[in-house]
Amino acid sequence: MFTSFKGRQIRIFRIPVQIAVLVFLLGGLYGVTSFGTSPLLKRVFLPNASCRYIESAPTYCFFYPLQDGLTTGFGGYFIDAIFLVLIVTVLIIILGRIWCSWICPFGFMQELLSDLRNKLNIPPLRLKWTHRVLLRQVKYAILFFTVLISISIGISALGLTETQATFALPFCQVCPAKGFFTIFQQIGGIIPPSTTLPFIAIFMLLFFIFTSFFTRMFWCRVCPMGGYMALFATRSLVWLYKDADKCTKCRICLRVCPMDHDKVFEHMKTGDVGGEDCTLCGKCVEMCPEDGCLSLNFMSKRLTVSRKPKFRGTGKRISIKSEISRG
Amino acid sequence: MGKEIQNNEIESRYLIDKEGYFSPEQKERTGKKSREMANNVIEILRGQKNRPKTMHYFDELLSYGGKRIDEIISFRNSGGKVVGTTCVMVPMEIIGALGAKGVRICSGYYECVHPSNELLGDAGLCPLVKSTLGAKMVSANPLMDVLDLLVAPATCDGKMKLAEMMEDWVPVVMLNVPRVKTGDTTSKLWLEEIKYLIRKLESLTGERLRKKYLLREIRKWNAANRAWNDLMGFRLAKKPLISGRDAMIIAQASEIDDIDRWTVKVNELNQNLKQMDDSGVYAGEENAARVMLAGSPMIFPNFKIPTVIEESGGIIVFDELCSANRILNNPVIVDETNTSEIIRALAERYFFPCTCPCFSPNDERITRLKDAIKNYNVEGVVFHTLRGCHLNNLEGTKIELVLRDLEIPMLKLESEYDEGDVEQVRTRVEAFVEMIKARRKVKRKKKKK
Repeated sequence: MFTSFKGRQIRIFRIPVQIAVLVFLLGGLYGVTSFGTSPLLKRVFLPNASCRYIESAPTYCFFYPLQDGLTTGFGGYFIDAIFLVLIVTVLIIILGRIWCSWICPFGFMQELLSDLRNKLNIPPLRLKWTHRVLLRQVKYAILFFTVLISISIGISALGLTETQATFALPFCQVCPAKGFFTIFQQIGGIIPPSTTLPFIAIFMLLFFIFTSFFTRMFWCRVCPMGGYMALFATRSLVWLYKDADKCTKCRICLRVCPMDHDKVFEHMKTGDVGGEDCTLCGKCVEMCPEDGCLSLNFMSKRLTVSRKPKFRGTGKRISIKSEISRG
Repeated sequence: MGKEIQNNEIESRYLIDKEGYFSPEQKERTGKKSREMANNVIEILRGQKNRPKTMHYFDELLSYGGKRIDEIISFRNSGGKVVGTTCVMVPMEIIGALGAKGVRICSGYYECVHPSNELLGDAGLCPLVKSTLGAKMVSANPLMDVLDLLVAPATCDGKMKLAEMMEDWVPVVMLNVPRVKTGDTTSKLWLEEIKYLIRKLESLTGERLRKKYLLREIRKWNAANRAWNDLMGFRLAKKPLISGRDAMIIAQASEIDDIDRWTVKVNELNQNLKQMDDSGVYAGEENAARVMLAGSPMIFPNFKIPTVIEESGGIIVFDELCSANRILNNPVIVDETNTSEIIRALAERYFFPCTCPCFSPNDERITRLKDAIKNYNVEGVVFHTLRGCHLNNLEGTKIELVLRDLEIPMLKLESEYDEGDVEQVRTRVEAFVEMIKARRKVKRKKKKK
């Protein structure tokens, strides 16, 4: 996993967090059911986390109450759902898209797929610029249509209420996570094999496993939850800073970025270089070879800063005793 | 020449007569004068104050017809291939991974300019190009006679046509350098050129590029980069521990030396400098003016301008020359470890951070200069252009305007491969250094107020 030529200062911390979250949120999959029964946790929704279709999941991903609230019309549950979505929005504003790279189990799966591909010596498929821009819009389109369909069903005057049985939770029906978790549970015997699994969900699952294997983080590029987060993730409390004076434009940040977030390379004014695509995984900060060029910050505090590399077998860095001349 | 030439008999486009054009006396004279010049420059370098003994290794390496040439010749005789380069943009790791030896053949010998002047008659052409071609014409540089292949990125006009002319003696692989850095095709085009280079080198050495060797070479060069970074740290000190000329020859030695041995030697030197640092010894004069050198390359032994600067009370604390700091400025950062991604990493390392004036837009050069001025506390910039280097000349004007805003004085010098203008340069540089020192006093007064 760690075959790079520079230390993985951030990923070393990220992997345990991801594993811990995976075990906690998807505990039901592995037979750990103790946290699954707490009713308190069931009312707490995270921006993107566990799945509704896991029998004993402690909490759900917020996209479920959003759709559910809109579909059931403007009843009591609607107010409930809006309240929950508001909490989630506040969380997103505070932490940005950090959910994607530190919490989301589906993102973790994709990272493991990328690692596997690297182990198998297959180069990643790099998307063309036009395709990247297109995919960037797709996530907003999915978000828009999900909300549109949910609202249309919810408004009784439109007379679509009878379709609720088939079109309730429109996104969940196509979400690859549903297929993924349902199949796992059926194999494990946690839920009966007769549980409905739409054909399209299986197709989406296979499609995204295939594409995410060859292109890094393919699902993340079209994920509507990511799209919702991207709406608010302009400048969160956790943010990516670039000191443009130190940038040599070597393109390393762009090459290693799993999301092909080009602002980190192209933006040549000192300041925030995060944005709608940046999931704050910190890979660019790990790999940047300039002292203090990129850094991951929490408010005004620097969490980690890019450094000139210490390559394997090159010993300690020499520091001089004499007074250093600085302008 | 007078021979009757038939179309199918033309083998060289520039019709440089390989045998009879220059008399043996002329060849001998050029060789002798070049040797004298190299020895003189090394004598001057050895006369520097507080010079660590480890530097002798680099002196010997660069000296005319030194030990390194013998090593390369014996390597070639035992079946190895020697690949020459004319530019810093050639990935040395790839050459090394295929079992060949890469050497940079740019020449700094003044005497070698005359043979190509005679042939080309272009007084305005870049003297570096003329000297390199001349050295080959009269076999004045032993390094040039052992080449199996020349890799020449077509950067500036001079280097491009130089490669074409060199085709008379040695097979040449020209790389098409995309000169506009922005745009979608740039990265792809350069990557394809590097793949083409690999194919050519593979057919030369008869080996396939293997990941294992490629990674080994990258490790070696990254270790060299690290050693170089440590060395640059000693130039940060208020009283720099190493002179600019010494740093320049160390960097240039990396391009012809065995990189493993070079790294060991530089690390040894770093230890020596560390000892100097502990005992409070430093290079250069007391209160030397901190000067940055930028512009056209200065290849050993064309050390006219740095020598004048450091003899008239300045010290070069940073340089932005493709003959010195730019060689080892950037490491290769490998993320995905399959061959094609490693090649991409290599290609990008040699292309994108390169601040050669042949690129446009070249804002990163200004960023680099500004950052270095801040970090190394540079008090004045000497911008040097070789005659006929229009690209550097044009950028010099742009840089001058930027530096004016930063209130950093800049001296623009144009030079030839000729001893004739030394005194003129000296007068100007001395005045420049005096001016820097005078500015210092004014600044100090301002601070007191």
